[in-house]
Amino acid sequence: MSSTMIFGAWISVFLTFGIFSYLYKDNPFYKFAEHLFVGVSAGYWTSIFFWTQIQPNLFGRLWPKTEYTDNLWYGIYKGLSFFSSTIFPVGGIDKGHALQMIYLIPLALGIMMLLSLIPKVNWFARWCIGYTVGMAAGLRAYGYLNSNVIAQIKASAFKFGNFDQPFFSLSGDSYFNSLVLLVGTISGLLYFYFSKSHTGLFGKISRVGIFFLMISFGASFGFAVMGRISLLIGRFVDLIKYSNQDYNYATLWILPVLILVLAFSAYKDKAKNKPIVNEK
Amino acid sequence: MIWKRQIPILIVTIVGLLTLFGWFIDEPTVESFVNDDATQWYDILASFAIFLGALNLMKMQINKIIKKKPGWIYSIIAILGFIFAITAGFFIKGVEGVEWGAHVTTDGTLFKWMFDFVFTPLSATMFSLLAFFVASAAYRSFRIRNFEASLLLVSGIIIMIGRVPVGGIISSWFVMYILVLALGIGLNIRFKNKMITLAVVGGGILAVTTAGMLSGWPLDQPSIFYLPVLQDWIYFYPNVAGTRAIMIGIGLGIFATSIRYILGIEKSYIGE
Amino acid sequence: MKTITDLILKMGKTDRRWIFLIIALVTLLPLFFPIGLPIRATEQTRVVYEAIEQLPPNSKVLLSVEYSPATKPENHPMTISVMRHLFRNKHKVYITCLWPDGQFMAQDVINMVAVDEFNLTYGEDYVFLGFRPGNEAVIKGIVSNIRKLYTVDVYQTLVDEIPMMDGINKFTDFDFLFSSSSGFPGTIEWVQYAADPTGVPMSSGVTSIQVNEVMPYVQSGQMKGVLAGMPGAAEYEALIGIKGDATSGMDAQSIAHIVIVLFIFLGNAAFFIERKRSKKY
Repeated sequence: MSSTMIFGAWISVFLTFGIFSYLYKDNPFYKFAEHLFVGVSAGYWTSIFFWTQIQPNLFGRLWPKTEYTDNLWYGIYKGLSFFSSTIFPVGGIDKGHALQMIYLIPLALGIMMLLSLIPKVNWFARWCIGYTVGMAAGLRAYGYLNSNVIAQIKASAFKFGNFDQPFFSLSGDSYFNSLVLLVGTISGLLYFYFSKSHTGLFGKISRVGIFFLMISFGASFGFAVMGRISLLIGRFVDLIKYSNQDYNYATLWILPVLILVLAFSAYKDKAKNKPIVNEK
Repeated sequence: MIWKRQIPILIVTIVGLLTLFGWFIDEPTVESFVNDDATQWYDILASFAIFLGALNLMKMQINKIIKKKPGWIYSIIAILGFIFAITAGFFIKGVEGVEWGAHVTTDGTLFKWMFDFVFTPLSATMFSLLAFFVASAAYRSFRIRNFEASLLLVSGIIIMIGRVPVGGIISSWFVMYILVLALGIGLNIRFKNKMITLAVVGGGILAVTTAGMLSGWPLDQPSIFYLPVLQDWIYFYPNVAGTRAIMIGIGLGIFATSIRYILGIEKSYIGE
Repeated sequence: MKTITDLILKMGKTDRRWIFLIIALVTLLPLFFPIGLPIRATEQTRVVYEAIEQLPPNSKVLLSVEYSPATKPENHPMTISVMRHLFRNKHKVYITCLWPDGQFMAQDVINMVAVDEFNLTYGEDYVFLGFRPGNEAVIKGIVSNIRKLYTVDVYQTLVDEIPMMDGINKFTDFDFLFSSSSGFPGTIEWVQYAADPTGVPMSSGVTSIQVNEVMPYVQSGQMKGVLAGMPGAAEYEALIGIKGDATSGMDAQSIAHIVIVLFIFLGNAAFFIERKRSKKY
């Protein structure tokens, strides 16, 4: 195992136990790990989005290698390349694009978005936000209507035509199951209809809807517990992996040290909080 | 004023209508723009939004350090973490022969090392902390106060036990015995009559035992009391009914809100 | 009797840190001392398995990886198993990611399965297209013109130069989609913007938390089955006959669930005893 891997394993174990130490109480190890996470995440996402989108798809369309010439536009590129040949390699960006000057629009909108950091000109960002909001609204209006409304209503319809299905079955289609779906969906929807007061027959139907919703919430709770325990198992598997000789017993060293430090800190806190008894 | 208000609203309306009708228009230029370039621009602007978020975060941390607010020392850690990630992303590859851009996914690079040993453990552990809090919350707050809460609890328990391997080894006869006992407790609370309770519980136990002995105690029969089968049914039918009702409601709400944005009725994105 | 009720009441007021410790122990111990509980595949896992098993030979399958290391214990084993199944049946696999971290997860799976296990040729048996930001806009881009969105693959090779990409221009050129997802964007967006409008069949593996959100799509037939969290991954491992990380975690999962259910019963017992006593006094 290389030294960088071993060093990495020790860092990983320390940070893992730092986060877990929050279960005892908030402490400097947890705060350190939390703030490190914040900083590293911001840098990580910036790097990923830049190298997978901005550089190939924006700069790669504004200064493609295929159309590199000695004109003013590529003169600007040479200037940028002088400052950073990493981002702007010599000779243009080779990502298979053709020159598309229309991509100056998203570049301008993007820069306008960054201007929101400066209070005096932060209104510039509204144009960019307007574009993303309009795009998202147009995409989602159709997507949700088709898949979440129409298709779901269709699936709730009682399957009268399928005469092969049994009346009752715990698995697979049956008249009983179709009825459960239909009644549950309609009564659940009626529960959310607040333009009419939930009294009388309407009230009884919406109460049935509540029962179905409670079953859904219970199932969600069960799955939530399952999901969280699975993630915890994953962390423990990694900690067990890092406790063996290949990683210089990282877990077995760091855990007791952390426990000792926290125990000592708890002892000191207890001594500090002990009431002072006045001697007469 | 026109630059700060009317133009953004116009942008939303034009882009929104173009994207919405782009689902239905067959004209190649419009289709190509909506499906290819417009979506590319959206991707690019999403990336700029990430940069903005990162810069804003650093601005806040620097502000905290300068003004020496409580916990400012930890802000130094946050900034150092950011600088380290940016260094790994833009300045030091750590390995030769890898193109800039490909270095974010290639093994052996400093960026990959940071991902494996710093980002991954922090991110995964943060999520797994919730396992403890869920267990603690279930113990301290999950109470059967009424029928609805009981339904929630029972369906949750059936899913939790029926979904994992241990549910498959719990015999349906065991579940039947538990139901008989639960029925007895319920009757006792309702009627407060020991004779009725004894009769029902005794009779129930006798009936279940007789049925079991006659059928040879099959593990998964009757299937209605076998937890994995019961769990499958709850998960696929009543649970879907409730979830579907919520989904349809949300779908209609999103459609209505999207139309409101496109028509310029909703203007919360410009602070109104 | 009074001693027992007093004890239950006292346990109901325990410091939550003892509960944390118990949860940690019941999750950790089965990892050291496995029980080997039998795994029974549920109906929905079988549907996913059959959907992939029945694909015609040499099918072009889009495998989308959208999860982060945070949900690796749930999604990673199912991605590995599905990829094993696809390569075992000699299908062509195209890997894409809607999450940036998904790229690393996908690379890990490719190294483990395609490179180490099956010794496959890049560009002929599988292609790794990589991550693009933009959420549902990326899916729309794949549906309409994949080559405009992906001009290069993750290794910066031009897509036009990859043999397997011949004939792949849009989403309908694929025969099947499998999405291993843990949130937004993911399974739901694939259903809404790709599978539903085009009719290309799809399946998905999701985290346990997301299962309830996608079940209506499964029930309505918009998706062919679903792998639900780590149990779903373990069931799939059992179906393909190769045990992995998901199977080894199921004992711990089972015991932890039993303990949490016992906690709920204990908490409610304390609640009822306290309520009865306060009514009495």
